[in-house]
Amino acid sequence: MTKTQIIEAAVAAVLLACTFAGYIYSKKKITDGATKKKKRAGKLWGMGVIISAWFLAGLFISVFSGKKSHLVIEFEMFSERIDVFGITLAKTTVIGLGVLIVLIILLILLRVFCISKFKTDSPGYLQTALETAVEFTDNFVKNATGEFTKKNLPPFVLSIAILMFGCAFSELFGLRAPTSDLTFTLSLGLCTFALLNIYGISKNGVIGRLKNMGGAVPAMRPLMIPLKAVSDISVPISLACRLFGNMMGGMLVMDLLKGVLGGYSSGLPAIAGLWFNLIHPGIQIYIFVTLSLTFIDEAMELE
Amino acid sequence: MNFIAAGIIMMAAVIGAGFGMCYATSKAVDAAARQPEAASRIQTILLLGCALAESTAIYAFVVSLILATAG
Repeated sequence: MTKTQIIEAAVAAVLLACTFAGYIYSKKKITDGATKKKKRAGKLWGMGVIISAWFLAGLFISVFSGKKSHLVIEFEMFSERIDVFGITLAKTTVIGLGVLIVLIILLILLRVFCISKFKTDSPGYLQTALETAVEFTDNFVKNATGEFTKKNLPPFVLSIAILMFGCAFSELFGLRAPTSDLTFTLSLGLCTFALLNIYGISKNGVIGRLKNMGGAVPAMRPLMIPLKAVSDISVPISLACRLFGNMMGGMLVMDLLKGVLGGYSSGLPAIAGLWFNLIHPGIQIYIFVTLSLTFIDEAMELE
Repeated sequence: MNFIAAGIIMMAAVIGAGFGMCYATSKAVDAAARQPEAASRIQTILLLGCALAESTAIYAFVVSLILATAG
């Protein structure tokens, strides 16, 4: 502990004691006659208590962990590899499999213990929530794909959304999110690519799909089909790069915040994480699903 | 040298994506003010357009990440 740290600790302790005393004093006054001005003063003292307690906690953490509050970022594009039962796997793959297992167990428990008890005449809270989610997805897919809607599309969309939300949730536990790995997002994009081709061919047949790719003018088709094929192949790549870049950007901003604050980052990243780990992935899930449905709809179109 | 290149890439890409998103949003506000009953449909289209405009910046971000980590 250096001399400046001792001075800082003393200042923080005195500040905490003063603000706490002021808070208790203002609380006592409020009970006598509560006016708006006195209530505001009480809130101000409470805020002072929180800030000085945060200062003191940060100081103690930075002293005991020995980490300085200057910018240290250890960043790798692809995560490090670990051994699992003799197989070398990327860490994000293991986390993704763990998220998948947890989700499957939760859903099986839901199926066995909750859905079997649902009643049609008097739905409870959980039943109403689940039915709302399923109905919303159905309507969403119907709006996005129009008249060419397929029966298997809403389950695909909902399961992808749940998986991606679970992956984003794993970042709140301090793990690296699987969606910030290019292989995971590319596999999701390849799912969309496969569906696009399967639905397009099952709807129009191989020749109809080629006609659809070539456009309305028959003479231009030999020229247009290779161009359209290139743009179709770029679909999974663009989906994967978009999701990966967004997730990686969120993770890097969180890392920067933690690196800049150092020991003082007790509590603050949790507030910023609400945006970067929950709401931002939610927007990205919406965009991913909407774009996938748009591409699938485009492939199913009749000329 | 790689870091300078990454910075220049990000600057150029973000200027373009920012102008694109601002143009799309201003048009969407115009349309929603003229026809408030179509606001939800406009919002969906706006989100899609913003995602597409943003993706250029995201591609540049990925490229600059590769440049910065390739050393």
